[in-house]
Amino acid sequence: MVDSQDMVKKVFTQKSARIDTNKGENYYNNLFEKAKQRLSTLKKQAPLKDIDMVDVIETEGINRRDFMKWVSGTTATLMLPPMFEPLVAEATELMNRVPVVWIELQDCAGNSEALLRSASPTVDDLLFDVLSLEFHETLQAAAGHDADRQLEDAVEHFKGQYLLFVEGAIPMANNGMYGTIGASGETFHEHLMRMSKDAAAVIAVGTCATFGGIPAAAPNPTGAVGVMDLVKGKPLINIPACPANPANMVGVILHYILTGQVPELDSLLRPKFAFGYRIHDNCERRAHFDAGEFVEEFGDDGAKNNWCLYKVGCKGPMTFNNCSIIRYNEGTNWPVGVGRGCIGCSEPDFWDKYAYQRPMAGANIKAPTGGVEKTVDEFGLGLLTATAVGIGVHAVASAVAGKKSEHNEEE
Amino acid sequence: MTPIMRTIHWMNAICMVVAVATGLYIGYPYYQTLIADPAVNKYVMAWNRWAHFIVAIIFDVTAILIGYLYLFSNFEKPYKKILPTKKNFIEFCEVFFNLITFNRRKKFDSSHSDSYNIMFFTLFHVLLVFMLLTGLQLYVHGLASGHSSIGDWWPWVLHLSTDWTLSVFGGNMGVRIAHHTTMYLLIMWVMSHIYYQIWRTIFWQEGDIAIVFSGYKFARDRKKDK
Ligand code: SF4
Ligand code: SF4
Repeated sequence: MVDSQDMVKKVFTQKSARIDTNKGENYYNNLFEKAKQRLSTLKKQAPLKDIDMVDVIETEGINRRDFMKWVSGTTATLMLPPMFEPLVAEATELMNRVPVVWIELQDCAGNSEALLRSASPTVDDLLFDVLSLEFHETLQAAAGHDADRQLEDAVEHFKGQYLLFVEGAIPMANNGMYGTIGASGETFHEHLMRMSKDAAAVIAVGTCATFGGIPAAAPNPTGAVGVMDLVKGKPLINIPACPANPANMVGVILHYILTGQVPELDSLLRPKFAFGYRIHDNCERRAHFDAGEFVEEFGDDGAKNNWCLYKVGCKGPMTFNNCSIIRYNEGTNWPVGVGRGCIGCSEPDFWDKYAYQRPMAGANIKAPTGGVEKTVDEFGLGLLTATAVGIGVHAVASAVAGKKSEHNEEE
Repeated sequence: MTPIMRTIHWMNAICMVVAVATGLYIGYPYYQTLIADPAVNKYVMAWNRWAHFIVAIIFDVTAILIGYLYLFSNFEKPYKKILPTKKNFIEFCEVFFNLITFNRRKKFDSSHSDSYNIMFFTLFHVLLVFMLLTGLQLYVHGLASGHSSIGDWWPWVLHLSTDWTLSVFGGNMGVRIAHHTTMYLLIMWVMSHIYYQIWRTIFWQEGDIAIVFSGYKFARDRKKDK
């Protein structure tokens, strides 16, 4: 009975159906044992990079207490019960056991930027020092043929073990000639396919890599698509947003180190721990939304009083992401916090459908037909007018015809 | 029309006015709150959403009722009129010709709901069901946790019945646009509907408008009249 119910559920509902924040004691006990075993085997492996997380943390002036605070926060973010905290701490220290290859395709390097920029590094940032980044064009010293060789070595050496991080969309138009890499002139598409073949899992970071992002915005001259459109038969995780939040990248890696598996994903392959709720659900301006207090124009009194940004285009009610909880830049702030609406950067087609500073009805962007929602409203109003005119014409014609009609006894 | 049908009719009418007004507000909060109370006491958007959802739920229930009557009514079973039979087709065309020839030609029995009317009526309910499904999909976004005050089954049911709209319209913004667009179609429908009923009242002179008030119209026997 339960089985058939589950089957029906699988057939008919998308994976986004629910977030299970409590899967029961059995599940967590099992997972705990599994994670413990996995960590002990990882511990036996030689570190790929000789950096000790504990040292790094101490030299950066983060004390043990702060570190443990971060650990419990991260455990909660991953939707694991507190008993996992020691394991998460341990996994963090073992981050240098998992090789990471990071490739960049059609993008602005914003995601790399996001994880590099920080005034005083947080644990999340530090993890990237510790992480065994075997290849990252933007960050590494090697260039040209050296870089090529480094990549070959990494792929060869860690066959089937490395996590492939992909940043950027893949241009498919014109046989992919809008983007080539290296001396061989391999297209981005070929490059991605070759790199992902031997990866343990592929992690698409940023909205370009996940859904095509800005390169795929109408009219999409390069025929840009996301990784999920091309890579099949591999564990694939999408971490959209523009840029993706480093905390979510770290979360995914940690989860992988802990369990050897990808975290639970929604229908768009986004980890539920990060994309399970809408911005709007946890927004600090939410009370103003419910109250009907809206900023009408940037800089007005409403703006000064931190009212809701819905009327100046906030797409928080439609956008799944955890910005309103973990924020950006060491948790200092996030777009809505600084008075600018969310533009739904972690949703598919965000540039065409979300990224304008008006609610639907006032949308005026150069998407197909010059503004999707605006078109709908104008078209709708046009239709209504046409209907009214049609009715009017018919009514007048009927009245005229009625007078002449012999059926009409009143004449 | 039976009393139940009339009740449903007027309930639908009121619900629709409320749904459109509040829906427009939700999509674009066009009036600013006037009361300078602390936020928690006003809840303007919350009230609009409240009203929108309440009428939607009433719509839901009436839709089920109508669906039932449609198939199993003791009086007339409307679905019989839209079956693609020759008789229905001819009747449909005749009523349509009646409309476009300004009532010069009336070769059908006007004492009962005709094929044309039922088609028109069916279209409305198809649109309505579409509104409900897309609307519920938008609504279930707020229940992303998979829990609700009436139990986990409710979001589950909503996902089960409406998640397909996500694939069809390409994500939740697509669903939103479809929901919004269909509103215009429904308003168009209502305009045409009111016009047609008044038109019939005037030109057929059978008191058609009275159907929704008293339940009956008088249909004249044309042959006797002549
Ligand atoms: S600012 Fe945006 S996310 Fe926050 S309450 Fe308003 S609409 Fe929602
Ligand atoms: S608030 Fe919205 S637009 Fe800003 S980063 Fe988050 S999802 Fe993207």
